[in-house]
Amino acid sequence: MSAIVEVEGLTKRYHKRASKEVVTAADGISFRVDEGEILGLLGPNGAGKTTTIKMICSLLKPDAGRVLVRGIDTQRHRLRALRHLSAVLEGNRNLYWRLSVRENMLYLAGNRGVSARVARPKIDALLGRFGLSDKADELVNNLSRGMQQKLALAVAMLAETDVVLLDEPTLGLDVGTGLEVRELLRDVAAEGRTVIISTHDMAVVQELCKRTVIISAGRVVADERVSNLLALFATRGYRVSLGAPLSAEQERRLAHTFAVFAYGEPELVLNVTLEHPEDIYRLMEILRLERTPVEDLGRTQVDFERVFLELTREETGRI
Amino acid sequence: MRRPGVFNVLLANLRKVATEMRRYLPNTISTVVTFYAIFLMFFLGIQVLGAPESAETNTQYVIVSTALWFLALMAMQGIGWEITLEATRGTLEQLYMSPIGAWRILLARMVGTVLVNLLIIVLMLFLSMATARQWLNLDLLTLPILLLTITGMLGVGFMVAGLSLVYKQVDSLLQIAQFVFLAFVAVPLSALPLLELAPVVKGADMVRGVMVERTPLTGFSVFDWLSLGLNAAVYFLLGIFLYGRAERRAMNRGLLGQY
Repeated sequence: MSAIVEVEGLTKRYHKRASKEVVTAADGISFRVDEGEILGLLGPNGAGKTTTIKMICSLLKPDAGRVLVRGIDTQRHRLRALRHLSAVLEGNRNLYWRLSVRENMLYLAGNRGVSARVARPKIDALLGRFGLSDKADELVNNLSRGMQQKLALAVAMLAETDVVLLDEPTLGLDVGTGLEVRELLRDVAAEGRTVIISTHDMAVVQELCKRTVIISAGRVVADERVSNLLALFATRGYRVSLGAPLSAEQERRLAHTFAVFAYGEPELVLNVTLEHPEDIYRLMEILRLERTPVEDLGRTQVDFERVFLELTREETGRI
Repeated sequence: MRRPGVFNVLLANLRKVATEMRRYLPNTISTVVTFYAIFLMFFLGIQVLGAPESAETNTQYVIVSTALWFLALMAMQGIGWEITLEATRGTLEQLYMSPIGAWRILLARMVGTVLVNLLIIVLMLFLSMATARQWLNLDLLTLPILLLTITGMLGVGFMVAGLSLVYKQVDSLLQIAQFVFLAFVAVPLSALPLLELAPVVKGADMVRGVMVERTPLTGFSVFDWLSLGLNAAVYFLLGIFLYGRAERRAMNRGLLGQY
């Protein structure tokens, strides 16, 4: 499959005026997105996700590196590249609150050069699809956050671009509306559009994204299919039920040997992540020190939240 | 692929300005009332303090200058407030996601604002004339002069927009700018000929020439037209150029979404 978005070595540094400190928001970020793919861009707060999204949208000029959209350099041919891109960057903040739902869609379509005559039937169809028909003449100011978020998505769809970028599309939504927005995103993906989602919402990634790029401290720490990451971490995580508490010396050795482990005293359960399969023997050696009885041993069930936490923790540990 | 239509951008912005003006009618009415009150203040000042023999001309002068001031504020200053508001609300980045180019959208917004506000200006002009019982010379010749004057105003509007884009907190500057613009439209060129180089001044002087002194087309020299045309072109192009510089700076520093 051919790449529709190519991100090559994006680097961005900010100079803090007061302290004259240089903050690296993005440090050589590279990845590709294939046509029709839904890519999850994940990372903890301040990891560089929004900076990366804004550089892809050409709203922020990188210090180094480039972004190609359909082979068009977004810095050199910005307007040409923007014909293929639309974005919901700050969710409900991307809308004109003093205009109605329909007026917002007409205005933002007009700003992309689309006439009202052409836009109107498309707007009606989108309003129906996004469940906003009965709110068409309501001022955006009077809508709930969830409705505003859906409208922002509908505006991005109206642009009919090949690539849609969404920055935190489910942020601040209640469970029900979050679910509804995820359903809409699934619909969008089914249309064959390429979607890049920057999010903290692991449910969005696990449900919608085939592949994820995880960013931590401005660098890509994982670029892998979601299913592969889940499988990888499923084989690395073990849960050991113990018949007696661990000694201080055992705990010290565990901390020395394994980067990621958790031990609960009252339950006598040890969760440990093994870097290599043979590490299981090292674990057993530590338990044999005090002849600690092992009552049960099994692989841990993993969800994407744990994969994310472990990947970003490993990266932070390396720094 | 569909080619973006700049004309549709103008229509969309015209619609937006008109919708907001209609929706916030009390706000629109209060603007008209404020400007009418300012005119009344000048008018009554002339009646009380001015020399009786020149009261008629002075009143007409004030009517034209107040209307031009209102126009200048809409064209040159309004966009500064809009940029600040859009950056605060988060919609500025959406404008920058348009394949048309943000400067064209801003130009359309400014033109839309001027066109819609021209209706208010005409209303104010008649209200002022009726109050003062002084009737100005409403000549079609005013239109090309106004058009060129507005072009220069839009250039200054872009400079203000550029400043707002980079510095955001320009409220105080915009407040002061109101009085600078008042000086530009009110000071007669004969009092300070060097002001011909400033924006708006030449145009305002020529508009007053037609409306107050009833100067005919032949009353203006080629130099007058050349000066007006050059002034408009230089300020418009300079405005676009400086806005482009400000835009690059904002994109380098990530200021488009900062508020």
